[in-house]
Amino acid sequence: MVELRGVGYEAGGRRILEAVDASFLEDRFNVILGPNGAGKSTLLKIAAGLLAPSAGTVRYGERAVTPADARGLARMRAVLSHHVELAFPLAVEDVVLMGRYPHYGRAPTARDREIVASALALVEMSDRRRQAYPTLSGGEQQKVQLARVLAQIWSEGRSAESTVLFLDEPTSNLDVHYQVHLLEATRGLLGRGCTVVAILHDINTALQFGDRFLLLESGRVALTAERADQIPAALVEHVFRIRARQVRDPEQGDVIWRFGR
Amino acid sequence: MLSRLTRRQFCLALGSLLALALVASAAIGAFTFSPAQLVRDLAQAAGWTPASAADALGRNVLLKLRLPRVLLCGLTGAVLGVSGTIMQGLFRNPIVEPGLAGTSAGAALGAALVFVFGGTTALAFTSLGSLAVPVLAFAGAFGATMLVYRVSSSFGKVNVFTLLLAGIAVNAVCNAGTGYLSYVARDPQARNITFWNLGTFTTADWRGVAMVGLVFAVCFGWSLRYGKALNALMLGEDEAAYLGIDPQRLILRLILLNTLMVAVDAAMVGVIAFVGLVVPHMLRMAKSSDYTFLLPASALLGAVLMELVDIAARLVIRPAELPIGILTAVIGAPVFLGMLLRQQRLGGAPVATGGAHG
Repeated sequence: MVELRGVGYEAGGRRILEAVDASFLEDRFNVILGPNGAGKSTLLKIAAGLLAPSAGTVRYGERAVTPADARGLARMRAVLSHHVELAFPLAVEDVVLMGRYPHYGRAPTARDREIVASALALVEMSDRRRQAYPTLSGGEQQKVQLARVLAQIWSEGRSAESTVLFLDEPTSNLDVHYQVHLLEATRGLLGRGCTVVAILHDINTALQFGDRFLLLESGRVALTAERADQIPAALVEHVFRIRARQVRDPEQGDVIWRFGR
Repeated sequence: MLSRLTRRQFCLALGSLLALALVASAAIGAFTFSPAQLVRDLAQAAGWTPASAADALGRNVLLKLRLPRVLLCGLTGAVLGVSGTIMQGLFRNPIVEPGLAGTSAGAALGAALVFVFGGTTALAFTSLGSLAVPVLAFAGAFGATMLVYRVSSSFGKVNVFTLLLAGIAVNAVCNAGTGYLSYVARDPQARNITFWNLGTFTTADWRGVAMVGLVFAVCFGWSLRYGKALNALMLGEDEAAYLGIDPQRLILRLILLNTLMVAVDAAMVGVIAFVGLVVPHMLRMAKSSDYTFLLPASALLGAVLMELVDIAARLVIRPAELPIGILTAVIGAPVFLGMLLRQQRLGGAPVATGGAHG
């Protein structure tokens, strides 16, 4: 579980986050929603231990999170950003192996190699393992990055220490095929003691894959919801400055949002 | 064929190549040695076989002139190869080398100060004696590199664009300083600066070999610890931090060890361009961009290439020899232009790739 208490952040005299209290639950797909500039990315960086908050605390269960503990955090927390470019033709398996860096010293163990192979198999990229990363398509590159972060917090079954996976707009460059594939693969981590926290821009995607929601507006929490139907249309209209209308999927019965001006 | 070799086999092959290049480089020159002669002279020098008077001249040439030159040349190649690898890792760009970030130009300015004012007692650094050139070269190189780094880093982050532009500015200032010094210098000193700016192994002696060898051993050993970190840095500073690496500390340490190695070497042999660019490039093409492989392999390949170029420098205009920097520029500059063209064709911005976006 990831707990933020009274988290504030200021940069260059500007207040970006103010008194944010939030709990991201274990074995849930926690989604952070909010318009551009609401402070989502900053909140994620603080929660992931990259930035120290100006006020407040972050804990993973009993563990206090600080940037000074970078190495320790790296063994149980991974972050997938939205697009990682490489200027060098590194092989796919070498990129995935980076996820194991916090776990080994000079040379990877057989176990590290196994985990890399398993992570590549999970994202269905095993046959590309020797290909140069920059020659892959954007969607394939993102699959490889997912394999890298999965390798970083890999555990068989339910491990003793719980893990945390942050996703910072992981699907914003991807077509629907890769979007669905990637988000389903991350949902596969649930039930193994992993807390998944994702920033997603597409509200319908967020509602389809998420099972706990935090709506951020101008650096403050506007709403916390457990289910999609607990999010009032009026609030969404106000926060995103748009007209919103809910329709029902005739087969599944779940809510789909339509937006207009 | 190369791709079938494992990385270990690849490095072993490079090592064997280096052994061959060292022997060839020791044998070839104004005074030619056969392999049998090399063995005999070395055995006599080591005292394993009684020294014969007939071999005295050859032995002297080999021990006092040829061997220090061959070793200093190999060490220089290794220093420049490793330095190119480290800097390309730091800047996340394959077209960077020590000449670019002000390191070489700063070292040249520091050394030129000693060449021109070294004779005047008024300056404090004359008390450094023979260490004056390496110490001032280091001061110049470190000052220039740190200035480039400070200018280009804000909010604790290094901006690659600014870094490259700052490198151009600092290079211009250092070159102007060196140019002024060679302008005001009396003739023999000016000639010294010219030679030094083109690189030369003709002044090699055992003291230089020992100094560069020691500094290289320390810096190279130190750099081997950062193979994984340099790989992680390819993903961008934030991604590296998520993998447990402190990018700011890493960058500072790498600049320090890189500057130390390049400056001490440059103080002995002058400025030799493009080796640091070409060596990692060849290794990336032949094998892999993994820094845990590139770091050791670039030391070996750098040494091999430098020996080959030095042999060529001794042969092309026999009995005179070409300054080594002229040859490396003639070979390296087209490679550099080719790399630029290729990056442009691939559509990637040559200076801003690498890292996470968003």
